[in-house]
Amino acid sequence: MTDAPLVFRDVPLNDGGAATVTLEVPAHRAVSVVGGENSGIALLGRMALGFITPTSGHLTVLGTELATLSRRDLLAYRRRVGYLPAGNGLLQNLTLRQNVALPLRFGSDLSEREIESRLNIMLAAAGLAAVGHLRPTQASEEQQRRAAMARALAFDPKLVILEEPFIGLTDRAARNVLETARGGDSGEGSHRTVFAVGSNVPALVSRRFELRYRLIRGVLQQED
Amino acid sequence: MIARISALGNVGVRWLTRFGALASFLFLTVGAWASLPRAGRRVVRRVFLNQVWFTAIQAIPLIAMLSGILSFIVISQAVRELGQIGATELLGTLIVVAIVRELGPLLTALTVAGRSGTAIAAELATNRVMGEIDALEGMGIDPVHYLVLPRFLGAICSVFGLIILFDIVAVLAGLGAAVANGMTAARYFDIVLASITFRDVWLSGAKGMVFGIVIGTVPAFHGLRAGKAATQVPVAAGQAVVVSIVGIFVLAAVFVALS
Repeated sequence: MTDAPLVFRDVPLNDGGAATVTLEVPAHRAVSVVGGENSGIALLGRMALGFITPTSGHLTVLGTELATLSRRDLLAYRRRVGYLPAGNGLLQNLTLRQNVALPLRFGSDLSEREIESRLNIMLAAAGLAAVGHLRPTQASEEQQRRAAMARALAFDPKLVILEEPFIGLTDRAARNVLETARGGDSGEGSHRTVFAVGSNVPALVSRRFELRYRLIRGVLQQED
Repeated sequence: MIARISALGNVGVRWLTRFGALASFLFLTVGAWASLPRAGRRVVRRVFLNQVWFTAIQAIPLIAMLSGILSFIVISQAVRELGQIGATELLGTLIVVAIVRELGPLLTALTVAGRSGTAIAAELATNRVMGEIDALEGMGIDPVHYLVLPRFLGAICSVFGLIILFDIVAVLAGLGAAVANGMTAARYFDIVLASITFRDVWLSGAKGMVFGIVIGTVPAFHGLRAGKAATQVPVAAGQAVVVSIVGIFVLAAVFVALS
């Protein structure tokens, strides 16, 4: 038994594929897994959210075997995890502010006044206070990513899953995204556990991950 | 020969499978109300009101115009033709049966299906293409709760309300046509009120509900089933409007057969 919030054990990356992944993401650490676009690496994040059930092996997130959860419990579980999807996943018919507010409005019992007050703090912290009224298509890529990140962190989750978090960003912006996800440092490491998957992590940002893995020909290799 | 029968069977199985999936989606949508989180209700209410605004309020001029013109044409012709054979009493039957009970619900539903059904399907398919459905799921928000349920309820209320509007405008336009062709207003209302029964009103309302369910379900079903390529958006919209129209006509025939 392990205390790691995210554990993959002998999980296949492709249907019927021989290559399996065994990986533990320790608490209060930022872990990156990099692989080619068709390597199946993106599936790790989707499995960790319960979008896909592994055909074999075991996957445990925050002490829960996702395959055993009902639909309702799975939705409740996802509210405990921060998720930054590839492409941001912002709703185009809502403003950045409304996007950030959505999980709070849908998943908490806070009053509208409390939500507005919390939103002001979140948008100010994300540097979006002046552009909260913009629709995603009117905002820059960096502003969209920051809004998506603020939305992912709405419930201050212990675990954050990032899919292709750095694509289209400058090194500085990418580092900001990672630091926001980490939530600052505590005595044990970062405030949150961060699990990032993608095809590329900029060199400047890569150093901020405590554990770095690369998938090479179906084998997960730890980088120095 | 066997190959042809087999191919025919395959088509039948495909249609039945699709119909089964659609029916299952309808039950899922209806059941979603029970599992909707308390906090989510105010968000769903907001989306619902938006849907009613786009589907019903913005369609009022179009429905009123269609109803007015249709009624004016039909009643003008009827007053002239029926007057020649001394059968103007049949005018009431014509406006109640043909317009209020049959054409009103049918034309209203077809208009809403063409106008809002395509919009719903295209919007949800775009949500899918842009990764917004996955993002909602990732936030722990059921897309059926947030996207489908308010549109479903909005479509039902909108079609129901627009049919009432259609009927009122049709009766008033019929009055205009009758008066323009020499009939008094009192005589017109005598004929219409003598012909209308509670059953006609009830049937018209029931059709509004059923057609609303079709328009609230079919486009959402096709929109959410769309693939992740942008080319899937018009495909979903096209399929949604075709299946909705066919469904509305079939159900209209079922109503006639049963009533």
